[in-house]
Amino acid sequence: MSAIEPFSGYGLGLRRDHYRDFEAGRVPVDFVEVISENFMVDGGNPLRILEHVRADLPVAMHGVSMSIGSAHGLDRDYLDALNRLVRRIEPLWVSDHLCWTRTSAHNSHDLLPMPYTHQALDLVCDNIDHAQNTLSRPMLFENPSSYLTFPEDEMTEWEFISAMAMRTGCYLLLDVNNIYVSAHNHGFSAETYLAGLPMDRVRQIHLAGHTDGEIKIDTHDQPVCDEVWQLYAKTRDMTGPVAVMIERDDAIPPLPELLAELDAAREFDGACPAMAGA
Amino acid sequence: MSAQTIADLQQEFMAHVLDDTSALPEGWTGRHAQGLAIYRNAYRARLVDALRGTYERTAKWVGEDAFRRAAAHHLITCPPCSWTLDDAGNGFADTLELLFADDPEVAELAWLEAAMHRCFVAADAQPVDGPAFAEATGRYNENDWARLRFKFVPGMEVRRVDHDIVALWRLLGDGIGEAGKCASGAGQYCAVWRDGFKPVFMLTDTHEGEALCMMLGGQTFGEVCAHLVGVTGEGEGVAQAGAILANWLRNGLIAGLA
Repeated sequence: MSAIEPFSGYGLGLRRDHYRDFEAGRVPVDFVEVISENFMVDGGNPLRILEHVRADLPVAMHGVSMSIGSAHGLDRDYLDALNRLVRRIEPLWVSDHLCWTRTSAHNSHDLLPMPYTHQALDLVCDNIDHAQNTLSRPMLFENPSSYLTFPEDEMTEWEFISAMAMRTGCYLLLDVNNIYVSAHNHGFSAETYLAGLPMDRVRQIHLAGHTDGEIKIDTHDQPVCDEVWQLYAKTRDMTGPVAVMIERDDAIPPLPELLAELDAAREFDGACPAMAGA
Repeated sequence: MSAQTIADLQQEFMAHVLDDTSALPEGWTGRHAQGLAIYRNAYRARLVDALRGTYERTAKWVGEDAFRRAAAHHLITCPPCSWTLDDAGNGFADTLELLFADDPEVAELAWLEAAMHRCFVAADAQPVDGPAFAEATGRYNENDWARLRFKFVPGMEVRRVDHDIVALWRLLGDGIGEAGKCASGAGQYCAVWRDGFKPVFMLTDTHEGEALCMMLGGQTFGEVCAHLVGVTGEGEGVAQAGAILANWLRNGLIAGLA
């Protein structure tokens, strides 16, 4: 399995609200990220726009439906469709989430939590091997935000992710907001979480907003909050060159607001000792 | 925990996401119930929003509250099983037809929106234009014409409609308040296809609609001609077949000859 070379840059998601701006080449980013499933179609305007954008910018493919933690294995039709898009786009990398979305009968279209057990780790690693072999490339997997943990858990999330990366050779997409949300919801230390991860495997960082409450919810509908920016600064102290993006999927603001948030990430990195001169 | 047990756990978790009336698993606390409720709400909101996005005009026609109740009903009776959210709307037009049996415009409008949605991401194809068709068929004899079949542009769909669906579409697209009952357009057919990258539709009369349905179903141009001759007479039937074919070519419905 080949390696994924580090890519340093700042990007945004290619969302319908901003298609015209991206098509006109008016968006000053280093890469774009697409939701893979939105483009796993036979034809039409979305694919045309993606190919147009791809001609000028690197594209990261980010999926939500692989269901890498599914006890029923991976959906063959899904993998075939994803593979076709990979061949067509030649992305920077392909990512998905550490979660499950479906059983043999139903699909929740939501990122459901894994039990962190040794048997679950075996199952996830088998599925990752299958996916990476099918796509002929290593993938990135994103740490989830979660709203419950299982009584059966045998290890922490960061221990699970570390073992997963070591055994499969996969890389990590680190969602800083997800760490913040889950740390609050489950009462662990975000700093301990970061210290427990193999940072050399991180190739991309997501920054997003959430909804506050007794249980914080990862809604991607608000600006990145101060606490997440602080955690981002600590994260960047620990990572090498990575692709950083602002993730907004709901209540999508005008492009200048997202670009301002991306500038804020650049400013944090300018102040980050590990990144000085990078 | 064995892999089978994880399968059981996921099966049980999914059951709770789909249905909030089942009892919590053994050992689960109120805190688990709170977390589960977030997943359940997210599931419902995402799916209802997906249906709302596809059936925007239908929602306006039946009213937002009624539409959301119908969407929730559909998720219970037909929970999604495909990896793509696009398929979550499969069968929803049928659900709406059942739920709004006294409002027959609903079924036609829902079908039209679903067909436009499917067509939007159908495979790309270059339609055959008049000159290319003339060149391809220039040496055809009578038997060739009789055996001729068409490949229509991908994503094309046709159905019979009994209401003025064009007026309804325009009215609801403008966002103008309460829509009255639409005038009947009984016996027409509605064809949906993509013009370039834009989904479009047109109403046809009964004969053209029947001809489209026949040829989409794999019948030959000869069979269409025979059908039209049967219902309108020899001279009129052949003339109509020619006019219909010209209309299809003009509108870019034909992607190839077979």
